[in-house]
Amino acid sequence: METSIAIPDDSQSSLERVLCYLRGENPQRIACFPLILNHAARVLGVPVGKCIRDAELFGNAHVAAYRRYGNDLITFLSTTSTLAEAMGQPMNFMEDDAPQLAEPLIKDLDDIKRVKVPDFTRDGRLPVYLQATEYAVAEVGSEVCISTVLAGPFTTAAALRGADVFVRDLYKNKEWVHQLLEICCEAGLTYIDEILKRRSLPIIVEPIGSASLVSPRMFSEFVGPYLKRMADHIHANGGGFPAVLHICGKTKPNWGPMREADWDIWSLDGVDMGEAKEFAGDRVCLVGNVTPTNLLKNTPAEIDAEAREICAKGMGSPCGFILGSGCEVPINTPGESLDALIAAARKYGRFDQKERCRADARNL
Amino acid sequence: MARAREAILKDLADGVLNLDEDLAVRAAQEAVTAGLDAYDAITNGLVAGMNRAGELYDQEEYFVPELLICSDAMYAALAVLQPHLKKEDARAKQKCVIGVVEGDTHDIGKNMVKIMLDVGGFEIHDLGRNVPLASFVEKAKEVDADLICLSTLMTTTMDGMATVIEMLKEEGIRDRFKVLIGGGPISQGFANRIGADGYADNAASAVRVAKEICKMAAAAA
Repeated sequence: METSIAIPDDSQSSLERVLCYLRGENPQRIACFPLILNHAARVLGVPVGKCIRDAELFGNAHVAAYRRYGNDLITFLSTTSTLAEAMGQPMNFMEDDAPQLAEPLIKDLDDIKRVKVPDFTRDGRLPVYLQATEYAVAEVGSEVCISTVLAGPFTTAAALRGADVFVRDLYKNKEWVHQLLEICCEAGLTYIDEILKRRSLPIIVEPIGSASLVSPRMFSEFVGPYLKRMADHIHANGGGFPAVLHICGKTKPNWGPMREADWDIWSLDGVDMGEAKEFAGDRVCLVGNVTPTNLLKNTPAEIDAEAREICAKGMGSPCGFILGSGCEVPINTPGESLDALIAAARKYGRFDQKERCRADARNL
Repeated sequence: MARAREAILKDLADGVLNLDEDLAVRAAQEAVTAGLDAYDAITNGLVAGMNRAGELYDQEEYFVPELLICSDAMYAALAVLQPHLKKEDARAKQKCVIGVVEGDTHDIGKNMVKIMLDVGGFEIHDLGRNVPLASFVEKAKEVDADLICLSTLMTTTMDGMATVIEMLKEEGIRDRFKVLIGGGPISQGFANRIGADGYADNAASAVRVAKEICKMAAAAA
């Protein structure tokens, strides 16, 4: 029944749509941010492992994905440990999947000496990310918002230390943890500057700060203060760019300290969008949160129904609402699933046909 | 004079619950010196403390760091007590093979489930992470397991869980084992679809579900 609703055409360009949020105006219809990361390789038809290590392929893949789907945000990221990788953390690369962490760089506390702010022209895959960003900005920057994504200090530190040991350090080596976070924060701020220089939007992801892992108290002590510095830095140097934060998994227990960190846009995963709107809608624009696995496994009609329900909860949020995926769009997501998600933003996220929106909401 | 049994048990439990490894180990040494029964000290001291920690985790009072440090305290004290266990205390336990499926190296979730199943009285055979799918079947046969626990955080590897179940079916031994699955992208719906016996969304519920499905298996036998 849901899919029988006609899908209205867009007359606004993607960039105009996104700029409406920054101006505090209602767009013609809500934007849609499926977090297309490694899936972009599928659109180009190249193995993931190859795509994410080659600037030209990486850039081309994301531009191709945008042209294929019409997503309102291009997101350059293959794994949240990319900054750690450039800081010396060994990775295991795979032929057709995202890389994963190998043995931690920091085995003993003293190994913190080995951690350094990376050289952005040389270290790890930072040149791949930055060159791909430049390519996309030149190619489609006038029509769509382009972002380059990096992990927050807490996630980067956990990658360098090994998350299981790192979470124990939070109790046993507090001062040392702050020293490490300081280096990771400095590296992140420098990366943000490099991204801004290329006129791309820096987005911070902090999955290890998820409430699936750490408590509100730990968040306030070790995650929030550094995130606040990053948000302040973007506000001061971003030329009007908003500060955008994504945290996967459960986040509700940490919403209080998250709000203190002063971000403008929250991209959320395992939460109730209605509750998020209630808690923070007056302060932040909300993005989310179709279940990523459902994009992979469910039918377009089921995806449409889930997106419709999320839109009903998120629409009318005072600082705006953007339909998105809760976390990375799974690599093997069928194209028609993403089509269904973006079509749902066109159908259920309209501001130019108020009467029908309300009628739809009543029928839910 | 040695302190009363209750006081020592309380320190064992509190050491674990309050992330105080020194207290737990001291209490374990005191239990040995005082001639307290090691099985009693483990079950009514350490395990009681860890179970309480699991409850707090379930209530979102404790999170991953707290639960891991509680378990560090528990295992440190257990190392003191274990040599003093009497032979007759070795009860038959239900056996569990656990691991992270092939292609995935994220193992914090698996390790948490392993700890709580261990505390819950299962005999654990941990295959680690990035485990070849056939190894789950081999190990389960080898140890005559009651339960196979499969974990993954990734959408690219979750279908490996279905493959393990298919392998069990092909060998005609699906009925011999209960299969419990979990991890970020996993849901009850996915568990139903691939024919798993149970799904759990955190370490505390994993033990509840494991006990439930294994009890049902024992009752049906």
